[in-house]
Formats: sequence, structure tokens, C-alpha cells
Amino acid sequence: MRGLRNGLLAAALAMVGFAASAGEALKVWHHGGRVQAERETIEGILREWSRLNPDYPAEYVLLPEGAYNEQVQAAALANRLPDLLDFDASNYANYAWAGYLEPLNRYYPPEFFERFLPSILEQGLYAPDGQYYSLGWFDSGTGMWINRPALEKAGIRIPKGVDDPWSREEFEDALARLKAAGFDYPLDLKLNYGKGESFCYGFGPIIQSFGADIIDRETWIAAGTLDSDAAVEAMTMVQNWVRNGYVVPASLGDDAFYGSRKAAICYTGMWMWTPHRENLGDALGLVTMPNFKERQVSATGSWCWGVTTASRHKEKVAELLAFMMRDEYVLLTANVSGAIPSTMAAAAQSELYKKDGPMHVLIKQLEDGLGVPRPNHPGYPAITAAVAQAVADIVDGRDVREALSEAAAAIDMDIEDNQGYPPFGDR
Amino acid sequence: MTIKRGGEGWSAWSIMAPALLLILVFIAAPFVLAIALSFTDQRLVPNPRLATRFVCLLNYERIVGDNGFLQAFKNTALFAVAVTPLQSGIALAMAMLVNARLPARNVLRGVYFLPTVVPMVVVSIAWACLFRLDGFFNQLLSFVTFGAAGPVDWLQNESTALPSIIALSAWQGFGFQMVIYLAGLQSINPELYEAARIEGAGRWGEFRHITMPGLRNTHIFVLVTTTIAAFKLFTQVHVLTQGGPRGSTNTVTRYLYEIGFSRGRVGQAAAVAVVFFIVVFAVSMAQRLLLKEDREGRS
Repeated sequence: MRGLRNGLLAAALAMVGFAASAGEALKVWHHGGRVQAERETIEGILREWSRLNPDYPAEYVLLPEGAYNEQVQAAALANRLPDLLDFDASNYANYAWAGYLEPLNRYYPPEFFERFLPSILEQGLYAPDGQYYSLGWFDSGTGMWINRPALEKAGIRIPKGVDDPWSREEFEDALARLKAAGFDYPLDLKLNYGKGESFCYGFGPIIQSFGADIIDRETWIAAGTLDSDAAVEAMTMVQNWVRNGYVVPASLGDDAFYGSRKAAICYTGMWMWTPHRENLGDALGLVTMPNFKERQVSATGSWCWGVTTASRHKEKVAELLAFMMRDEYVLLTANVSGAIPSTMAAAAQSELYKKDGPMHVLIKQLEDGLGVPRPNHPGYPAITAAVAQAVADIVDGRDVREALSEAAAAIDMDIEDNQGYPPFGDR
Repeated sequence: MTIKRGGEGWSAWSIMAPALLLILVFIAAPFVLAIALSFTDQRLVPNPRLATRFVCLLNYERIVGDNGFLQAFKNTALFAVAVTPLQSGIALAMAMLVNARLPARNVLRGVYFLPTVVPMVVVSIAWACLFRLDGFFNQLLSFVTFGAAGPVDWLQNESTALPSIIALSAWQGFGFQMVIYLAGLQSINPELYEAARIEGAGRWGEFRHITMPGLRNTHIFVLVTTTIAAFKLFTQVHVLTQGGPRGSTNTVTRYLYEIGFSRGRVGQAAAVAVVFFIVVFAVSMAQRLLLKEDREGRS
């Protein structure tokens, strides 16, 4: 009797063991994306992988975007991270620092990385060890959306490509002309997005265009950079736009450019393509970022993927990630989300981003290296909060230097309190 | 005798136990923890590379030295001082109105209570539309002044943002106090009014000498609960202004939220909570001492 029972037990254990070794699913966490189709596309890609790799099928797990970061942090505390994980670019340095992510360089040959946009690679580069920790299907980019007939009527030069941007004088002259032409608030800076991540994302490029930055990317000190003369000049310019009545107030809502048409220029990212196109039709144009003082800068960064240190099959997960990053899938997912495809080959085939496509200028900016990622620093949560506060205060009329100095001090205090986020402080 | 007293004590404790346990676990313990955390640099996301350290009074020094905190504190106090009488006043007026022998007064009672049932987030979003540049309030303003007064950006203007939030909050919250006042009004002996009328008292005299004194205990309850609720102001501000413009609507709870969650500084947020608790506790104690409840009952 006992022998029989032991035999059964052994058989059961053997079966469990077999299941673990041969059919273990790779857990893939995803935030769901903006549209239902994005999720379905990803599930389709994972199904295809599972069909080809029945020993290591991929299991799609959807986590709502609203509390995604909190769930990742909680899972990490509980040692329950999945094998493959997607995350917003702004959180990635914090994850890498906390040790959740595997460096990818050891799994792929150097050539593997060459087909990606520079901005995607730079986004995944972790400064302390110079390794890549993330790869994505798509990137974001910003430009100036225009109401083309309105600008033409006001006699404003319209840049044709990345190489002939507006200068600051031209841009401000355009705003003045549009105001005179009867546009209540010629420029929509999307202040209605509110004091959050979008302020660091959107106003960073304006500060960088003056030769300043949000934080020094070598020393990781904000004082002297975020409150430098160049940064003060940049944000004073923005404040003056608001003072002159050029900027759409937050309380006017989202559609001042494409709906009520009280604005003729809208500074925002590629995600507004559909509402803009549907409402403005052929009147819609998109031009490159102005060169306000020293350089043109586009914002970059989007959701991307990383292999977790918790995975027990890292080689296989890296293989899955490479499978997902095939050009055909890059093109597929980028098309669904309307974002910029992350590889040059996929971009060439994209209707929106190919050579004469309507948003080609955005990818050209990234190819030309005009994209500047948000600071890849584990202290980013404190950085973005401080910058958002400063931008909101400046728009509301606070002294620019004072607001930026306070933000810089808050960032530096956070980094200091965390002992420089070692190994960042060791440099 | 002693056995009986012991038995009583035991049964009293056993009746108190469930509530006491919950209070200990969910209120007392976190509070003690918060006091302990406020002396450390505890992070929201603990990291193996950085141990939490004891930082003595650093968190408290930083709060006291932060203009943002002082401003948030001032705004919260201003809000409490303004909204408490306003909200209670509306509530009392409405309670008297729906207490009168009006036709369909039950329907009116329900209608006036509606805003309180609607979640604050929904109310805030609805009012955001009313406050818009091309929204209801500006159209009303332009209509009343025959277009003379230009549109006001209610929530983006430092002088109008907090009053706008006060108006919204009073409107949303008065229903609750109205119901309490209604109960208070109905507990006043109607014979008192009859007697007053025979004595020749007018409506105002009735209100001053019967209604107000009769509502004394209700007043105290409403005042204390409304003040404490006012100190917790968060949702409206978070949805509508995020503390802006230039911090003019920031409140202590929102400040605490930003420090603790956006910036991940749990230790410092705990210090804010401790300071805030002491102040709110002091205020409600002062109210208790100044406004002695009438335990005897008048009617």
C-alpha cells in the first residue's frame, strides 16, 4: 500500500518536474497601451512565438497603466517580477538602478543594436556601466503642428524639412502675426495636460534648445544647469509668450488647435495625429522643432521592454525580445499606436513616417540625432516633479530664476539624500 | 460583588474589542509608525543599496523652512475658516426651508442632498467645465454685466482660484450638514414656537430665541465635523488646480501627497502628517473647550 502510494507520488512529482522543464511559460507584463488594437497585436505576436517555441510559450499578462509602476515595485518587493516587462522610459533608470533589469549587451552581438534609432538606444543606455537595458518597438517625437492656410495667409514662412527650422525671431514674429490676424491664442503648448510628466517631456527640449539642460548628465547636479542663464532665458521666453497672450490657457481644454481653432500652432507629440488629421484635414501641417538659440531638440521616449533579473530563463527571454523586435513586428505595433517605428527599416515602410509621409519630419529629427532623452537617472521621479512644479509656476508668472533655482535645489537635495544613488555618485 | 464587577468589566471589554482592535491596527499603529518614520529618511521604494537612516529632526527642519509648506498650511486654514461658516450657513438655511410645510418637500430634501451623494471627483470635473474660460460662470458674468466684465480664468488666477474651490466645496458638502440640522430642527419642541407666537414674537425673534438655542448641540457637532473635513481638502484641488496657480490652492494633504508619493520621501511626508495631526487635534480640542455641549437638554 505504502509502496503504491510512494510510486504515485514519485510519478506525480516527475510530471510536475517535466512540466517545469519543458513547458514553462515566459510571463510578459504589458501596460495595455492606448488602444485595444495595440494589446491584440502584441498578443498575436506572442502567440506566434509560442507556436514556434512550444517549450517556452509566452504568456501575456495585462496590468492597468494607471498603477503600473506601483505594481512593478510591489512585485519586485515580493520577488514576483515576470520574465519580460514593459515600462515607460522615464521609469527605466530607476528599475535598472534597483536591480530589476538585465543588461542586454551580453545577449546580443553589437550589430544587433545598429538597426535601431539612436534615440531608442540612448533611451536604454544606463550611464554607470554603459550597457543597454531596454529596447522598444516605437519612439515618440515632438514638432510644431500648424494650421497651414492660416500661416500662409499671415505671410509666415513654413519650414520644409529638418534643415530649415524657424529661428526664435521668426517664431515669435509668427505668433505676433497670428495674434494680429485674429487668433485669440496662436500657440497651444498643451498646458491642459497639467502639472505632470508632460511638462518635463515638453519643456525640456525648449530649455535644451538654448544649450542648457534639466540636469548635468556627467555630474548629475542640477544647480548651475537647470537654473543657468541659458535655461532662465528659455523659460523667460515661454513666460513672455504667456504674458503676450499667445498661449492657450489650460482652462480652454484640449481642442483649441484642432477644434475651436483659436490656436494656429500646436507644440505636441505624434500621438495627436488622429484628432489633428480628422478635424483639420488637408489644412494640417507638421514642421520641425524651431532652433531657438543653439540647437533644435525633439523630445523622445516611449514604452519599452526589458528582461528582468528575476527571470529563470534569461537566454530564452532575450531570444523572445529579439523575436518581438523583428522589423515586421516593429512596423505592425508602431502602425497600431501611431508612434515612430524604432528601426530604420520599419520606418521606411511606414505610411506615416516614410520619406514623403505626413510625419516624416519627426523620425528625421531622431535619425539626425536631435532627440534628447529625459535624464536616465534613478532620481528621475524627483526630477520630473521639480521641473513640472517650476514650469507651472513660471507659466503662472513667478520669477523665472527663482522657480528654476528652487527646482534645481529640490533635485540636488533628493540626490544627496539618496547618497547620490550609488553607483551614480561614485563616478 | 467583586465577581460581578469583574464580569461587567469583561463583558464591557468584549463588546469594545472589535472596534478597539480595528482602531489599534488601522489608526493607532500606523500613527505610531508615522511618528517613528518621521525621524528617518525612509523611501517609498526601499532599495537594497541604501539602508534607511535615522536623520533626527532633519525632516521637521525642512518642513518648517519650506515656504511651500507654510503656504499650503495658510491655504488650508483659510479654506477651513471660510468654508465652515459658509457651508453650515447654507445647510441651516436649506434645512429650515425643507423643514417648512412646502408641497413636495421630500423631493426637495432629496434634490438638495444629491450633490453630497455624487463623488467629489465627478463634481470637480463637472465644475471644471463651469469654470472654463468659455464656461457657464463667464457667460453669466458677461450676461449680467452686459459684456462689460471680461472673462475670468477662475482657476488660473491667484485671487479667484481658492474662492472658486471654496464655493464648489460648500455646494457639494452642505447636504450632509443639512440633514443633521433637519434632525436638530425636528427635535425642537413645537410648543415653544406656539408659545412664542402667542407672546407675539416675530419670525426673527423665533429664530433667534428658539431655533438657535435649540440647535446648540447640533451647531457644535456640525462645526467640529465640518472643520475637520475642511482640513482634509484634497480631491477638488488635485483634480482642478493641482495646487496652482503658484501654490495658491495647495493644501497640507496635497503637499503631503506630493512629498510622499511623487517625490517618494516617506520620512518627510510622515513628519508633515505628524505636524498636521497636532494642529488639527489642537483646533478641535480648542473648539471642544470653547463650545461646551449642553448635556442637560432644554426641551
